[in-house]
Order: sequence, then structure tokens, then C-alpha cells
Amino acid sequence: MAGQVVNQFAQATLYGLLQGGLLALVAVGFSLVWGVLNVVNLAHGAFVLGGAYVAFELNSWLGLDPFLGMVPAALVLFGIGYVLQRYLVNLVVNAPIFITLLLTFGLQLLAVNGMSLLFTANYRSIPTGYAATPLPLPGDVRVPVGRLLAALLAVAITIGLGYVMRRTRTGLSILATGMDRGAARLMGIKAAHVYALTFGIAAGLAGAAGAAVGAVSTFSPADAGRFTLFSFVAAVLGGLGTMSGALYGGLLLGLAEAWGGQLLPGTLINALAFGVLVVVLAVRPQGLAGKAFYAARVEV
Amino acid sequence: MRTTLRWAGVLAALLVGLGLQTQLYAGQERTAGTVLMFVALAVAWNLIGGFAGYACFGQVGFFGLGGYAAAVLIIHLNLSFWLALPLAGLIAGVFAAVVGAPLLRLKGHYFAVATLGVAEGLRELVTNLPRLTGGGAGITIPTVGKEAPTPWLGNDGFYILFLLLAVGAVAVGLLVSVSRAGYALRAIHQDEDAAAAVGVNTTVAKTVTFAVSAALTGAVGAAYAFQQITIFPERLFDVDITVLMVVMVVLGGSGTVIGPVLGAVSVAFISEWLRQNYPQVHTFLLGGLIIAAVVMLPQGFTSYLADAVRTRRFSLLDNVRRYRL
Amino acid sequence: MTLRATGLSRRFGGLLAVSGVDLELVPGKLLGVIGPNGAGKSTLINLLTGHLRPTTGRVEVDGRDMTGARPWRIAHAGVARTFQIVKPFRGMTVLDNVAVGALFGPAHRRTVAAAKRTALDALERVGLAGRANDPPAELSVADARRLELAKALALRPQVLLLDEVLAGLRPGEIQPALDLIDSLRKEGLALLMVEHVMHAIAAVSDEVLVLHHGEVLTSGEPGTVLADSRVIEAYLGKRYAK
Repeated sequence: MAGQVVNQFAQATLYGLLQGGLLALVAVGFSLVWGVLNVVNLAHGAFVLGGAYVAFELNSWLGLDPFLGMVPAALVLFGIGYVLQRYLVNLVVNAPIFITLLLTFGLQLLAVNGMSLLFTANYRSIPTGYAATPLPLPGDVRVPVGRLLAALLAVAITIGLGYVMRRTRTGLSILATGMDRGAARLMGIKAAHVYALTFGIAAGLAGAAGAAVGAVSTFSPADAGRFTLFSFVAAVLGGLGTMSGALYGGLLLGLAEAWGGQLLPGTLINALAFGVLVVVLAVRPQGLAGKAFYAARVEV
Repeated sequence: MRTTLRWAGVLAALLVGLGLQTQLYAGQERTAGTVLMFVALAVAWNLIGGFAGYACFGQVGFFGLGGYAAAVLIIHLNLSFWLALPLAGLIAGVFAAVVGAPLLRLKGHYFAVATLGVAEGLRELVTNLPRLTGGGAGITIPTVGKEAPTPWLGNDGFYILFLLLAVGAVAVGLLVSVSRAGYALRAIHQDEDAAAAVGVNTTVAKTVTFAVSAALTGAVGAAYAFQQITIFPERLFDVDITVLMVVMVVLGGSGTVIGPVLGAVSVAFISEWLRQNYPQVHTFLLGGLIIAAVVMLPQGFTSYLADAVRTRRFSLLDNVRRYRL
Repeated sequence: MTLRATGLSRRFGGLLAVSGVDLELVPGKLLGVIGPNGAGKSTLINLLTGHLRPTTGRVEVDGRDMTGARPWRIAHAGVARTFQIVKPFRGMTVLDNVAVGALFGPAHRRTVAAAKRTALDALERVGLAGRANDPPAELSVADARRLELAKALALRPQVLLLDEVLAGLRPGEIQPALDLIDSLRKEGLALLMVEHVMHAIAAVSDEVLVLHHGEVLTSGEPGTVLADSRVIEAYLGKRYAK
């Protein structure tokens, strides 16, 4: 009996970590845009769905494996993100925050409703032959191959992004612009382009995550808000603007959801997640891994 | 002198509104009632979001809290609606004061999304207490017969109720704007450190404003719940309601008294028109409208008009260049 | 009314920005505070006015413990300050900027009209009454500093802390500012002035305190302190100290 409980707990933990890895990939782009552009992109979840639909269509028309479909999904969403930032979001970058929040919310309405009209609101998934096959692990714990693959890819991409950001010229120019736009411009960095690049990268990562989501579970435009919210919680939990922060935040959130699902009934887990979010914001707005965010709190 | 004129304007609006009531058909009356409801909501949001500069993105949480509080008081405690309405407002106000203690220490995006989290948390809480609130299946307020402490107010009745709430909210807004409180809030908005250094108790100012804004919103929520008779968490805690409020204030001009009124009237009418004429795609079109409005009128219509008249430049393209990178 | 600080220090993570500072401000006397950049001067003012909580130490106003009190309580106790980087309320006129202090400071004017009268008095004191209805954005550097001072004076303070009020002023603008500060001292205000302009400090201070790396390097009469080789070394390095 005790063994069964331990087993269930282990299963939930593993599941939580796998889900968390995927959430990390979704969250890291969101955190990047917030950290660099100071824009909270309420349409971020819609990018995830966009990637899922790209992979879905490619799978329907060409039979492309969704894990391979992560690449075209990322590219398409990168393009969309770049154009959106360059020619739309850049127009309000200097405005008070509720302006950018409204703009991205309007984008979300457009995107979610647009996708509903195009693809219908039905739940879909992308079938592969192997994704559901469980890999047996010791202790009677099973992990579906698809989820394992998704999580590993997600974590690899997230870590890879951190490397790219710190070691390449492009990455450094993004980080620099995020720290001090004026100074970066004086150095010859084209802020409009860098912003668009950042937003595009975030969208591309979300798109890739979306393709993976499509492979391992069902999706519909109605999920967009949930993904945005998860990104937010993960980003705040982990600490803004740091890649590792989004990773920790995503993993923590995945675990909390999995454990919560074992212990709490129904959707009360979501209420708990919000509660945790509010407490974290009140007590330690810089998150677990973030550096002290003096801008978050009023000094007085 | 100017202040007296403005108060006269409020009184005039009340009289016009009452007079209008006799001229409207039932359908028009319901639409007008909805518009007035949004006027009250927008003006209430403007207190914390426009004057104090704390953009609350969880305002609908107070709306839903007020609505459900009223429902619970009427259903479980058999209270009259006329008692439940102010109590609902009070409950929302007290909740805001309590929750505001940690949250109002946050700035900008953090405050916005923390309040959003609170609203969403409230929605989940209500959904998961079915014995009290009916949960996801909704709850029905008795409006006829012996079970109903107060009979349903009817279209006329609700129109007048929303009119009174709207005028009341505007009166509160005007009072804040011309009084010491207005100075404190504007100072906090512009530079909170400097405000504190000259003696403004920023904690009290923010908390009281937050509570008043929430109480007004909660009272409106109670009225809405009674009008709808059957309420569901998804509707009473719908994030779209907050967004509409914010769009109205932004478009009309935040930090003024007339701005939210203008914004609420125009956006509410447009939204209703879209809903009735393009039911399938109205949300899609609304999204496009929000984007266009935010890009072309970020400082709000009243500011735009004031600047345009002063400088004789009416081009909206100038607006687009205002906040761009 | 006196302001006394004992053993004041403030730590930011690994950095001790202010360490073990003692000072006392008495009516009619001006304490000049100097030190190289990063010495902790602005931090000191923030500690005295409640914008930062001290890690250790005490702040007393007329014997009442005000350590860690919020800025508005300190303002109500009669202590006013200016900010090094001026902080006007941009959306309001110059007059309204000053009226905020009149409404909420210890003068506590009940009506807006009365507050505006007090504000106008303060503006006249600093010579800015002519710009009362202008937006702060249109003010010159010198006038912006006058506005900062007027905002502080609207509190009718008994202790006034000035944070680099002379920075950015042209030579011709410095003397009128010093005259104004001197007149405040003669009225019995207890003054603290953080400054980089050395001849100003020499001209107007009764005592000078030197901060270096957050600690008090030395204090005393202006002439002695400014000639002290350690002070010169702190600013300019060993070579010039000899």
C-alpha cells in the first residue's frame, strides 16, 4: 500500500518534471521579452498554439513528424514575431505599461479568435506511432516516450539559448539593449531590429514548444490563455530575464501542478498557483534565481 | 467656479439620464443600462489606475466578488437586495484593503499581474465552493414569489439603478479630482518618492483609493448579478471585462473625470453594435479595434483633443509617433 | 529642533555603503558634508529621511526615535529634503507641485486654496513666483533646483537637508543660492548640505564632515578640514596630498 503511494508520487514527480521542462521552453521566451523589452506579452500563449497548428498542418499535408515539425514551427513563428514587433509593438514601447498590455491583449484576441475561425475550436493532437509508448522504469513508473523526448528537447533548447545569448554577438547585443537601450544605441546597435529579433526568438521558441505540445497532448485555441499564464508564473517564480530562471520556474511549476493534482481536487490547483504567484510577488519579486529587482518594489 | 460648473454637469447628466428613460424602448433601455454599468466600472478603475497610476488588471475580481457576495447574502441569508448591494460593495472594499497591503508595494507590471492573479484565484475559489456559490454550474438569485426578498427590478428599475451607480461613481471621481486626495494621488503617480518626502502618506492614500475603487466595482457587480438572475464564475470573473474597462479609460483619457465616461460610452456602444451585427467575429473585430485604438490614441481622446486644439494639429499619425521606439 | 544620528550604517548585500556615522544638526548651524563620489552621501540623506532603513544605528529628531520611520512621518516631524536628481511632479504646474507639500506636510493646509497661498509664499521665497503656472519641464536647471527647494520649504521645516543643490549651476547662479541658504540658516533652520562645490562649502558651513567609503574620515572647521591632507588624498590621490 505504501509502495503504491510512493509509486504514484514518483510517477507524479517524473510527470511534473517532464511537463515542467516543456513549460520552461514556453516560459523562457516570455521571460526574455519581459526582461529585455519590458513588455509583458499577453499573446505569448497564442504563439504556442500557432506552432502547434503549423506542425499539425505539416503533419496533415506532408506527414511530417511533429518533433521534426518543431523546426518549421519555430521558423514561421519567428517570422511572425519579428514582423509584429518591428512594425506594431515597437510603436508603443515607450508608453505606460497598460498600453502595451492592452496591445498584446488585443493581439491575443485577434490570434485566438482567428485560429478558432480557421481551424475550429476542436481539440486536436498530432499522432505519431511512438509518442504514447511507455518506457518502463524501475519501480513500475512509466514515462511515455513522446513526453520524454519533448522534455529533453525543450531543456536542451533552453540551455542552448542561454549559451547563444552569452557567447554570440547577436545575443550580447540583445542583452545589452535590455540593460540600457540608450547606451546600446550609442554603441551602434539598432534597437528596433534587436527588439524585433528578441520578440521573434521568443515567438519561435514558443512555436517549437507548441509543436511538441501537439505531439504529446491535445490542444485548442482556448488553451492560449493558460500557456500565457503558466509562462508568467514560471518567469516570476524563476526570476525575470534569466534563462536559468525560466528553467527553474518551469520545472517548479510542472512539479507543483503534478503534486497538486495528486493532493487537491479539481481546479483548486490553479487557485493555489495564483496564490503562490501573489505571495512570491509580494515577498520576493526577483524570484528564485533572479538578481534583486529594485524596480519591482516601491522604495518608500 | 469651474468646479461648480462640473458639479452642475453631473447633476445635469443625472436629470438627462432620468428623462431619457421615458423615451427608450425595452431593448434600448437594456443596452443603455449596460453602457451605464461600464461608465461606473471605468470611472471606478480610473481612481486606482488613472489617478494613482497603479494599473490594476484584476479589477473584475472585485466585480465578481461583489456579485457573488450579493447572491450569497440574498440566497443564504435572505437579505433584501437593497441591503446586499451596499454590503457587497463593503466586502469588496475590505478585501481590497487587505489584499492591497502586500500588493500595493509592487510597481508596474508586477502589480498588474499580481492583481490579475488575485482575480483569477477568486474565480477558481468561487468555482470550487459549490455549496456556497453553486460552483461552475452557476447560482440563481430568487426574484419572484415568496422566496425572493426583493422582486426583480425590471428593465426600468435596472436602468435607473445603473444610472445612479454611474452618476455616483462620477461624483466620487469628481470629488477625488478636486480635493486634497487628488493632489496626493497625482503626486504618487508622478513620483512616489517625492510625494512621500513632502508628507503624503502613500500607503494610506493608495490603500484607501484601492478600497474605494473596489467597493464601487463590487456594488456594480452586485447590481449586475441581480439583473442577470443566474450567474456563472466565467462571466462574473471574465478578464475581458477588466480589459474593456481599461480600454475605455485609456481611450477616453486616464486621470480625468470626463475621460472614462467618454471612453465607456463610445467603446460600450461599439462593442454592443459589434456583438449584435457580427456575432461570430465580434471578439476578433474587438481585438483589432483595441489594437488600433491603443496605437492611435494612447494618451486618450481628451488629451488628444486638448493638445490638438492647442497646437492646431489634428493628425492621428502624430499620436502614433508619440511612444514609438 | 535638533536631528541626531548615532552609529548609522547601511549595508547593500556585500557593500557597506554607510558605516558608523554620527552627526548632529542644530538650529542656526549648517553642516557641510563632502566626500568623493560613491562615499555614501546620498545614502546618508536617504537614511536620515526614511527612504532607506538603516542596518544599524539610530536617528532621533528632538530626542524622539525616528529610526526607520517612513518618509512622511519624518516630513511631519519637520524634516525636509531636496533630491539630488530633481523630482518634480511633471503633470502639475509649479504652484501645484509646491502645494502638495503644503497640503500634506506639517503645515497641513485643509483646503486647496489655502495650500496654494502657502505654496506661493514658498515660491516667492526662492524667487520662482513668476513661473507659478508653468509646467516644471519648462524650467531651467537653476529654476528646477529652486522648485525643489520651494517644495521642501512648503513644509515649513525646522531641519533641511540639501543634496547637491548647486550641481549644474553656472557660477553667477551660485551666489544667490548661497545667499538664500544663508538666510535660511539665520532664520534658525538646522541645515545639512551635501556638496561638491568646495568654495561654497567653505563659505557657508559652520562645520564640515568628510565621508569616504561610507565612513567619517574627519570633521571640524571648514578651513582645517579642507586643508587636511587625508581629505585631499581621498579626492585627488596621494600625489596631491603632500
